[in-house]
Amino acid sequence: MKSLLKTMAAAAVVIAPGVAFAEDSNDPIIIPIHNWSSQIVMSNVVGQMYESMGLNVEFVTTDSQAVYESVRLGDVALELEVWEGAFGASFREALSKGGLHDVGDHDAVTREDWWYPMWTKESCPGLPSWEALNDCAAVFATAETGDKGRYLDGPVDWLKHGQERAAALNLNFTVINAGSAAALWAEIGAAEADKKPVLVFNWTPNFAEAVWPGEFVEFPAWEDGCDTDPTKGPNKDELYDCGNPANGYLKKAAWDGMKDKWPTAYCVLSNISFTNPQIAEMAKLVDTDDLEPVEAAEEWLAANGDAVQPWIDSCS
Amino acid sequence: MTEAAPVISAKNVWKLFGPNPKSYLGSMEPNRSFEDIRKDGYIAGVKDVSIDVGRGEMLVIMGLSGSGKSTLVRCFCRLHEITGGTIEVEGQDIMSLGQKELIDLRRRKMGMVFQSFGLLPHRTVLENVAFPLEMRGQERHTRRERALEVIELVGLAGREDYFPRELSGGQQQRVGIARSLVIEPDIWFLDEPFSALDPLIRREMQDEFLRLQGILGKTVVFITHDFDEALRLADRIAIMKDGAVEQCATPGEIVMNPATEYVQKFTEDIDKARVVTVGALARASAHTAAADGNALDSEATIQGLARQLINDTRAFMPVQDKGGALLGTIKRQDALDLLLGAEG
Amino acid sequence: MVAQADPSNAALSRLSSLHFSVVLLVVSALLMIAHSMGVLPAWLVRLPEAVIPPTAEVLDVVFAFVQNDLGLIHVTRSIAAGLEYLLDATGNILYGKNRFPYLNRVSFLFIESLGPIPWSAVAAGMAVLGFWLGGWRMAILAGGTFVWTAMIGQWDIAMQTMSVLIVAAPIAFLIGLMLGIAAWQWRWVDNAIKPILSVLQTLPFFTYLLPAVIFFKVGPTAAAVATIIYAIPPMILMTTLGLQKVSPDIVEAGKMSGCTRWQMLTRVYIPAARTEILVGVNQVIMLCLAMVVLTAFIGMPGLGAKLLAMMNSFKLGRSFEIGVTIVLLAITLDRLSKAWVVKQPKHWERETPWWERHFLLLLGLGAFAAFYIISQFQTFEILNEVGRKQSWSKGREIDRWIKGVLEIDSIQAVTGWLRWFLNVKVLIPFRNALLWVPTPALIMMVVALAYWLGGRKPAIYAAVFFGIVALSGWWDRSVITLYTVISAVTISMLLGIPMGIMASGNKRLANWVLLTCDSAQTFPSFIYLIPAIMLFGVNDVAVVFSIVIFTMVPLTRYTIEGLRAVPLEMTEAADMSGANALQKLVSVRLPLALPTMAVGFNQAIMFAFFMVIIAAFIGTQDLGQELQRTLAGTDLGKNIVLGINVSLMALTFDMAILEWAKRRKKALGLG
Repeated sequence: MKSLLKTMAAAAVVIAPGVAFAEDSNDPIIIPIHNWSSQIVMSNVVGQMYESMGLNVEFVTTDSQAVYESVRLGDVALELEVWEGAFGASFREALSKGGLHDVGDHDAVTREDWWYPMWTKESCPGLPSWEALNDCAAVFATAETGDKGRYLDGPVDWLKHGQERAAALNLNFTVINAGSAAALWAEIGAAEADKKPVLVFNWTPNFAEAVWPGEFVEFPAWEDGCDTDPTKGPNKDELYDCGNPANGYLKKAAWDGMKDKWPTAYCVLSNISFTNPQIAEMAKLVDTDDLEPVEAAEEWLAANGDAVQPWIDSCS
Repeated sequence: MTEAAPVISAKNVWKLFGPNPKSYLGSMEPNRSFEDIRKDGYIAGVKDVSIDVGRGEMLVIMGLSGSGKSTLVRCFCRLHEITGGTIEVEGQDIMSLGQKELIDLRRRKMGMVFQSFGLLPHRTVLENVAFPLEMRGQERHTRRERALEVIELVGLAGREDYFPRELSGGQQQRVGIARSLVIEPDIWFLDEPFSALDPLIRREMQDEFLRLQGILGKTVVFITHDFDEALRLADRIAIMKDGAVEQCATPGEIVMNPATEYVQKFTEDIDKARVVTVGALARASAHTAAADGNALDSEATIQGLARQLINDTRAFMPVQDKGGALLGTIKRQDALDLLLGAEG
Repeated sequence: MVAQADPSNAALSRLSSLHFSVVLLVVSALLMIAHSMGVLPAWLVRLPEAVIPPTAEVLDVVFAFVQNDLGLIHVTRSIAAGLEYLLDATGNILYGKNRFPYLNRVSFLFIESLGPIPWSAVAAGMAVLGFWLGGWRMAILAGGTFVWTAMIGQWDIAMQTMSVLIVAAPIAFLIGLMLGIAAWQWRWVDNAIKPILSVLQTLPFFTYLLPAVIFFKVGPTAAAVATIIYAIPPMILMTTLGLQKVSPDIVEAGKMSGCTRWQMLTRVYIPAARTEILVGVNQVIMLCLAMVVLTAFIGMPGLGAKLLAMMNSFKLGRSFEIGVTIVLLAITLDRLSKAWVVKQPKHWERETPWWERHFLLLLGLGAFAAFYIISQFQTFEILNEVGRKQSWSKGREIDRWIKGVLEIDSIQAVTGWLRWFLNVKVLIPFRNALLWVPTPALIMMVVALAYWLGGRKPAIYAAVFFGIVALSGWWDRSVITLYTVISAVTISMLLGIPMGIMASGNKRLANWVLLTCDSAQTFPSFIYLIPAIMLFGVNDVAVVFSIVIFTMVPLTRYTIEGLRAVPLEMTEAADMSGANALQKLVSVRLPLALPTMAVGFNQAIMFAFFMVIIAAFIGTQDLGQELQRTLAGTDLGKNIVLGINVSLMALTFDMAILEWAKRRKKALGLG
């Protein structure tokens, strides 16, 4: 009460001082967020790390492909999840235009490929080997595919080449492109009701593995050049006759100007490296525990402060 | 009414509507009828009209809808640009005025009342009435005072803060009248001001109008399609058809001597005794000198003197004007014929 | 002044119009026969690649020139900077973004931090505003909406959305007003604006998004710009309409009062056109809200972004709740602004003290301040912020419920059968048939239809527009788009018109149906996609289904309204002629309602063209899919070519149908 009176007596309008790192700019570091949970929470975690260092941070929602153009132009400062399979092409294109660069990998692997929920195995026991697919084609057939099996690939703009692979490996399957990630989940969710077998495109790490346990189909292992050189892979005349790399990278990228504008923040960014379990934990806090991303990031930092602090300390 | 300088003087005024009226009028052969012009793709809103309005005179322009009466009055105040001819207001050619001078003329000299009132719905009575003052930049306080004065004059005191939609039609038109008077105009245009009102209110508003005009004595141009109303109010009536003036004269003269068949039709059902004044019947004749006894007032209508005409047995009666000057005599028989509708 | 055409003459011209259409149809039939016999040369089946001009490439070059060489990007980026300043300020006030005016850092008296404004203060203020505009019901609606938003745990994201809308809506209003005035004042502006507006109103929203990102930087600025552009057209139209409708008496009264041109505009015209201008404001607000989700693709924060994130992690319940919030906000703002349209000033008796005159204003400010202060105390923290764990969100329960419904066998049986029947027996054969038709034959059919409906002018436009589509190089995808639209509109006619006919007989039922229509329309379209997939799987049935939900709305509504507007005398005359209910419907009520129903039909087609693009998120092979693909890149030229294709096809139908409705109305003497 006394302090309250004191403040009233001062009747003042006080502006709180900010900023600890003198050499880092006061402008907010703009961090892009996309529409999947792990990336949103990870961005919030890093944002909160920066804020704890006295930096200003702002989040902006962007498209996950178009973001590389924005990083390049400096509209956003960095990108925390560059998936090899999904965004490698956009990233490389932006890289060649200049303006952004690679700030190292996370200690995590990514994988994206044909996938099925566990219940599917009951009707097609030969899985996960891809060679079982043709025998089970009828199991995956639907009204509109006739006697062919149906595989629901990712949206066309993800460039997954499901069509080409089905052809190269002589799979008796019709490949249909979903329009969005949400469409993939809806398809799995609908199949879950009466445990209908489905074959869809999926990737890891994401929230789905916690909701629907499942496995990737094991295609012929990835060889470098499988997408450019027909002689690679089992079918000597066709491209795309291998599975996707089972251990794709997960990178961080930064705007070229970040290094000069926020040197400390940049240093921390280059130290950052999250692992698969850590990323899964971040996603789980939002997807399973229903926290808001900000709260999830707080909680995650509270539990994993030890892992993070050295990244900050080594830069100050 | 032949006073020295007319307030409004229109000479050979034309107003054509169509794609290229100016050049059409320039190349038009004379004496083309309304129909001919229409076939050429033009509408003659006003067709070769010449008319003067004297100071303090009340000119009523009468015609059916589409006759061009509203167009004519809009030419007088240059709401319409005329196609040909000249219009002078107080000796000044209004077509030569620049935009600024025209606005100035309207702000100082003209007031107008509209058929469907033309009130601004978002303004109170007071704000509507004060609107013209506000437009000419008068200071808030003085314009408020002046507006209240006029509102009281039209009998709306106590309603200043109402919005138009909260008033009856008659009251709304009182607001319209107050607004037209607030700048103390010299010339007062009224475009069918009472046509939108129901008959009882219309009568009441005509009385109110006569009362106001009695106080103010403005130069008035009043438009109506109602012949009775015209007769009731006018010093002179101009009857229009197809854009042209068929006849322009005093009510009595029109009733007694309709110039055209068209005018005749209007006068047929009229109770002439109510309209014709004693003065209009008076003739300077041999009997004038002989006539004696009390003279009749030249401005009284025959009907107004009915009782006297029946009781007074003189064959000829002297008529004098307000000043007492002897104008002539009327023949009792003529007056009675008119009164009883037994015209030859 | 209905032009009474000589009946025999009319019949003759009708016959000749039919005649021309028949000729076209015969020619196209001949082409198809030739095609089926395999004798039609390939260049008549599809335009050869060689003749297709590289429109997209040319556009790209032009844009690159305008953007970089002419330096347009510097202009737009500096506009964006100004816009960003405004957005930062509203963001700071509403959700505590760390920018000017730094309310979040300001402490005042015993209040620790002035910003962001506590939800309870906003809700209280809105409730009083609602009361002022529309009494208790509006107070409850307005206050309740904001209480719901806070309690469901969406306050922050809702305010992120609002922080953009309260910048975008006024700017859209101002620009629309000014362009509307210009179009009313100068004929050439009107002539220039009209076609642009028609295209803008039919252009798929994806086409706004990409240029917005390129020129105005990804994030809220681009979102605000896209929203503004989307919301302007009705404001322009309403302004022009309102100004044209000002009664000549008022105009002349203004002139005779000695108004200058400026005074005429500001003191006479604009106040007198108040009603139409406010209807325009209402439209601006509604269109801004309609963009909330779509702009999330280019960095609009808030409800839309959250909705997309929720959908991507398959949280149907939470997405649904966000949808409800958007609908509630839309209904509240719609009703409030409509109440404002009809709100008339009220006079006060003289000598009313000023506090009584301004009682509600004071009450509103008081309530706002009171809640502002109270919510600063720890005990009443909940009035300031509702955390996730305190919220009433029932996302999980809703998820379980949805899954439960889908597990019901009878539902699965029905959807399974529908999926099979529609896909295998109807949609796929129809699509293949349309794709098989040679390009010139299809164009001729469309032209014949346009001629038959609207006569010469729509037919010429149809020929030109579809010709451009054929030359754009995206013919097959355009045909698939068209196929989806036709299928969806046909199905929604089969459902919506009988529903409208049924509802029109009963006033209460009709009102209820109309309310449902309103809500269905404001519900973010994205949310329909998921149930559509879960019911039918990723295929054309789901696509058509999600479109049908939208297109049924105008068909039902205009059927109800058209039937209700049939003059009573006519149905009475039919009664007295001894017609039974069916005869009365078929021979009297429907023919008279048909022009109105045609307007509904037209709107249904426009909605279908809008939704078919969104349905790309289910998975399609049409223009929408390509458009969606451009969103992730920088293919501005391709993006615009695709968008224009959609727009041209939509406009073709728009013109033909509206012309038909106009003629029909005139013929029936319905004004």
